[in-house]
Amino acid sequence: MRSQRGKRPVRNPLLSARPQNGKSLIPLDVVPEPLVETSHRGAGDEVVIRTNGLSRAFRKGLALDSLSIDVPAGRVLALLGPNGAGKTTTVRLLNGVLEPTAGQSRVLGLDPVAEGDELRRRTGVLTEQAGLDDRLTARENLLFTARVRGMRGQPASSRVDHLIESFGMGEYAYERTQGFSTGQRKRLALARSLIHDPEVLFLDEPTSGLDPTATREVIDLIAGLATRHGRAVVLCTHFLGEAGRLADEMAVLHRGRLLAFGPPAALAARLWPGLEAELDLGGPASDTTVEALRSVDGVLAAHNAPMGARVTVTGREVLPRLVARLVAHEIPVYASTPLPKTLEDVYFEIAGRIPRDGPGLGGIELGNGTEPAP
Amino acid sequence: MSRPNWQSIRAVVARDLTAVRRSKAIMLPMTLVPVMLLVVLPAGTAFAARTQDASGVSDFLNRFPAGLTDPIVGLPQHEQLIVLVNGFLIAPLFLIVPLMVSAVLAADAFAGEKERRTLESMLHLPISDRDLFIGKTLVAFLPAVAVSWLGFVCFAVVSNTLAWPVMHRLFVPTALWAIMIFWVAPGVAALGLGVMVRVSARANTTQEANQLGAAVILPLIFLAVGQATGLLLVDVPVALAIGAVVWLVALLLIGRGIQRFTRDQLATRI
Repeated sequence: MRSQRGKRPVRNPLLSARPQNGKSLIPLDVVPEPLVETSHRGAGDEVVIRTNGLSRAFRKGLALDSLSIDVPAGRVLALLGPNGAGKTTTVRLLNGVLEPTAGQSRVLGLDPVAEGDELRRRTGVLTEQAGLDDRLTARENLLFTARVRGMRGQPASSRVDHLIESFGMGEYAYERTQGFSTGQRKRLALARSLIHDPEVLFLDEPTSGLDPTATREVIDLIAGLATRHGRAVVLCTHFLGEAGRLADEMAVLHRGRLLAFGPPAALAARLWPGLEAELDLGGPASDTTVEALRSVDGVLAAHNAPMGARVTVTGREVLPRLVARLVAHEIPVYASTPLPKTLEDVYFEIAGRIPRDGPGLGGIELGNGTEPAP
Repeated sequence: MSRPNWQSIRAVVARDLTAVRRSKAIMLPMTLVPVMLLVVLPAGTAFAARTQDASGVSDFLNRFPAGLTDPIVGLPQHEQLIVLVNGFLIAPLFLIVPLMVSAVLAADAFAGEKERRTLESMLHLPISDRDLFIGKTLVAFLPAVAVSWLGFVCFAVVSNTLAWPVMHRLFVPTALWAIMIFWVAPGVAALGLGVMVRVSARANTTQEANQLGAAVILPLIFLAVGQATGLLLVDVPVALAIGAVVWLVALLLIGRGIQRFTRDQLATRI
C-alpha cells in the first residue's frame, strides 16, 4: 500500500515542479508516484475501503492503473477527474461488478471479486444514469430493488413508501417513470440507493439535473450520512463546489492514474507552502507598507492588491503580528482574511500540470463561478 | 456451490413480466402470431373442409412414400383435409410459437437492459451472476410455455368445434400431440432461449440481438423444428426420445451459459 498510515507522504517530483508555458516539466507517463497525503489519519480510524495496486485493462488499454487508496468510515471521498479518468471503473471494481486485471481491494473487509453478493448487500450505488425501468411506476422500481435486497411484504412496502415521501415523490409514486424529469429520476434513484441503509455509498453525479433546493438537500443528506451515521461515501462528480462542501478526502484521477490523494487542506499544504491572506487596507498598499509586511517574521511573500495587500504567511498565528505591525505604523486595517486553498484550487493546480496535448478536461465543470488556476 | 436465491430470481421474473405486459412492441407479436397460426389457420381449414371438394387431398397424399401417410389415407375423404392440415401440417408451425416467444423475450433480456440503461444499476444489486441468468432465462421461458399451452387449448377448441360437422369426434389432441405440447414445445422454447440469452448478453441493442439470432442461429433451429410433422408420424417412445434430445441440447446450452456468464462481461459492454 502506498498510503499506509503513519508513513511519510511520498513527494512527487512532477507536482513540486512548476509547469512552464502550460506544459509539464516531466511527461505524465513517467511520473513514478502520485501525491499522497495520509499523515492525518488516526490509529483508530476504521478503514472500510482499501485498494492496493488496483488495475483494470480493457481492449483499448488501461482504464485504471495501480490505484492504491484507503477510506475510513464516516468519510466522504471525492473521486475527481475528467471523463474517462477511471472514476466509474473504480466504483465498478470496488462493488464487484468488474474484476481487476491486477491488484486487490477490500470493501467492508470483503473481497469484491469473491464475495461480491455479500458486499453488494451492504453497499448502495447511485449510477450516473438513474437506471429506472420506464415501463414500471416509481413505486414498482423501488419495490423491485427492495425484494432483490431481501425485503418483502409490508416492511418492504413501508420502507419504499417512506423513501418516496421523503424524497418528495409521493404524488408520482404510482406513475410510470417514463415521463419523469432528470431531477425526479435522480431523486428516485437516490432513494433506491438508500433503501437498505447501506454502510458504504457510491454516488455517481448525485446532484446533476437537480434544482438548487434539491441539490442542497442532497448535499446535506450525504454529509449527514457520513458525519452522523458513520457511512463511507465515494462521490464521483464534476461539480467541484459540491465536492468541496462534502469531501473529507479527494482522489484525482487522469487516464486511470492516481495523481493525488488526501484531504484537500493537506494536499494544499503540500502544493502551496504557507497560508495566503488578504489584508483590507482601504486601498492599494504602498511599497513602504509592503516592505514593512515582508519584514515581519513568518511572512513568506507580500505584494499589493487593489484593496490592500496579499500575503503568504507560514501560519494563521502570523496574522495578528502583521496587523499589529501595520497598526503600529498607523496604517488602518479594516479586515484580515485567511484564504485557505479549496478543493477546487487543489484540483486545478493538479489538473493544470497535465500536458495540454493530452486529452482535455472537457468534463470538468466549475462550481461557484471559480476560474481554474492558470 | 450455493443454492439459488429464489426470492431474488422471483423479483427479477416478476419485474420483467410486469414490464413485458406493458410493452406493446413485445406483446403484439406474442399475441398476433399465435392467433394467426393456432386460431385463424385451423379455423380456415375447417371451413374449407366443410365447403370445398377435398378430392385433391387423396392425390396429394398418394405422392408421398407408402406408409408415411397411412394415418390419413385410411380416413374418409372428407376428413382427410382437416386431419392433414390441423392434425399434421400445423405441427411445425405450432413449435414456432414457443421458439418465437422465447427468442423475442430472451433477446430483450440483457440487450434491452442496456438499451434502457438499466443494466448497470441491476449489476450493482446483490444477485449472483447465476441467479441473474436463471431469472432472465425464466422470464423468456415461462411466457413461451404459457403462450404455447394457451395457444394449443385455443387450437384444440377451434379445430374440434369447427370441424365437428365433418369429423363428428374430437381429433386433437392425440397422444403424440400431447407429447409435442407438454414435452417437445417447452424443450424447443428452452433451446431458443439457451441461444438467445447468450446472444442478448453480447449484443448492445435488442434489435442487434434479434438480427444476430434471426440471421445466424435461429434458422438452424427453425430447420430442425420444420421436421416436426414427422414427429406426429412416429411412435410415442420415439417422440419422447426426440423431445429428450431437444431438452438435452437446450440444457447443455443453458448450463454452459450459466457457467460462462459473468457480470464483468456485461459491465465491459455497457
